[in-house]
Amino acid sequence: MMESLQGLINGFGVATTIQNLFYCVMGAIVGTLVGVLPGLGPIAGIALLIPATFGLNPTSAIIMLAGIYYGAMYGGSTTSILLNVPGETASVITCLDGYQMAQKGRAGPALAMCAIGSFIAGTIGIFGLVFLAPPLAEAALVFGPPEYFSLMVFGFIVLSNVTGTSLIKSLMMAVVGLIIGTIGIDPVTGDARFSFDFPYLMGGIEFVAVAIGLFGIGEVLANVEKPLEMLGQRVLVPRLRELYPTLQDLKRSLGAILRGTGIGFGVGLIPGPAPVIATYASYMTEKKFSKTPEEFGKGAIEGVAGPESANNSACQSAFIPLFVLGIPFAPPTAILLGALLIHGVTPGPMMIGEHPELFWGVIASMYIGNFILLLLNLPFIPFFANILRIPKNILLPLVILFCITGMYTVNNSVFDIWMMLLFGALGFIMRKWAYEAAPLLLALVLGPKLEAAFRQSLMISHGDFGIFVGRPVSFVFLLGTVIFLSIPLLRFVWRKAQSKKHLERSA
Amino acid sequence: MERDEIIGGIILLILGLITALLSLQMPIGTFRAAGTGMFPLILGVFLMILSGVFLLSILLVRKKGPGKKESQTRTPGSPWNLILFLGAMALATLFFNRLGYPLISFLLMVALLRILGTKRWTINILLSLVTATASYFLFVGWLKIPLPKGWIGI
Repeated sequence: MMESLQGLINGFGVATTIQNLFYCVMGAIVGTLVGVLPGLGPIAGIALLIPATFGLNPTSAIIMLAGIYYGAMYGGSTTSILLNVPGETASVITCLDGYQMAQKGRAGPALAMCAIGSFIAGTIGIFGLVFLAPPLAEAALVFGPPEYFSLMVFGFIVLSNVTGTSLIKSLMMAVVGLIIGTIGIDPVTGDARFSFDFPYLMGGIEFVAVAIGLFGIGEVLANVEKPLEMLGQRVLVPRLRELYPTLQDLKRSLGAILRGTGIGFGVGLIPGPAPVIATYASYMTEKKFSKTPEEFGKGAIEGVAGPESANNSACQSAFIPLFVLGIPFAPPTAILLGALLIHGVTPGPMMIGEHPELFWGVIASMYIGNFILLLLNLPFIPFFANILRIPKNILLPLVILFCITGMYTVNNSVFDIWMMLLFGALGFIMRKWAYEAAPLLLALVLGPKLEAAFRQSLMISHGDFGIFVGRPVSFVFLLGTVIFLSIPLLRFVWRKAQSKKHLERSA
Repeated sequence: MERDEIIGGIILLILGLITALLSLQMPIGTFRAAGTGMFPLILGVFLMILSGVFLLSILLVRKKGPGKKESQTRTPGSPWNLILFLGAMALATLFFNRLGYPLISFLLMVALLRILGTKRWTINILLSLVTATASYFLFVGWLKIPLPKGWIGI
């Protein structure tokens, strides 16, 4: 405990240097913009900014990229409330009551409560991170290749189960991501795979191209396909003096914020798109706890405060599996893993000991970042809302220009731009055909780790697959995988039985 | 919708088959000492199984009857805009090195703004000029990122 506190104090020393403070503020501002602007979510936003961090030391780079991640969560709520258009998926639920509040002239308190809730959740979440990460890292030291393999498989299954509408479609996307991840040189034998003697493919597919393509270009193309008149939008911009919530608002929201924080933190630790699940879970909890559940969907402030706190808290705790196990459970943290690797840092149980300045510096910067976001969000909401007044037919070409430029700067390669466009077109088709992109991206980033764990496990066991079930931790993860795989089947059987009963009764 | 699902399933089935066939041309090894092709082979086979199950489930639902009517409403899209938009991006990529960043960013903005309905040329060109200049100063001037100069040489 004392060690963690000492680490955190040192982390504040690292995070409060002029350089790191600057990158923290930059990350928070860019993140808010990314969250506000349609067509750019946190994933494409982080991916685009990775090249800009090449000249920085790893700590400053991750401080800025992490700032974009949680900044986007703040920004995403602005469009939900003012436009009924979520800036990113974690803000979908905020639309329900946030937009209704805006329609009743209460956009200001809704936006303010988002910022206050996110700040409180972010602060509590950081303390959770500080006290939970070191013991978990110690526990993870016993993890060998079989445990890592089973954990990653478990992660894919949970993510596939909770994203989109079809488990099998999400699973297929995960396998496609794993296949794409095998392109390039085999790290064990040094032989080329699926590169067809094409030098550009020898190094593998650039994950930044896949991320920007699927999540950035794909979203822009989906917007372009809409009729031109749909690209215009009317935005309500609240005035500064309308922003302050009443004492009654604060009183109603406090419980929701604290419950949302707890839910978010817990959900962030398990595989899956944590912020999205956390917001849904928090909304449902608030509706259940409320004395006036009929107000939900019509502008209940708890329906905004709870989910917004939950998504911020989930963002913080999602850093635990990334830093402690080196395994991200969702695409934004997968992109951060890619960024860490680019900067020569391999996250895992040893990271706290090997890179204490990075680990504690990033955690401390999150606290500072949350404070900056609170300061930034309240007075500058009218400014961010005004950005939304830029018509989409101007904004979308701008996003494309940034995507193309950003993509080129990763490796100074036009081939990467082609790849990005290819994945952009693929992302568009996947959207049309209801295939989820998240499992594909996560699988692409984790693919090489999964393959290494698979091959090493079998090497240890002399080819015996029993190693995956013979070790208790690995067995628990695989059991969890089987349970998650059987949920859709059980649901199907239950529905069948129910409809049969219904038919019998009506007969 | 059902046609899209079948096409998607078939594409993934073919992708799985191609992956498996190409993997077989690499050393497979044994489970004890896996070769280069082992992991992709497993993935290819797994994808074929999953897409096979997916296609089968669609066909089974179809056999049972037409089922529920399509509930998803689609916005009447504009495929031409999409094709032109993609074409403009592809052309910009093709001439990225040859024409250089400042010129290509300007031309790309002009084209994309025009496709998305900015019909007045003065506004279009002014916006494109401002954007191209700003992005040039941001990336080349401030971030010092070497971008292709092309034949205009800046």
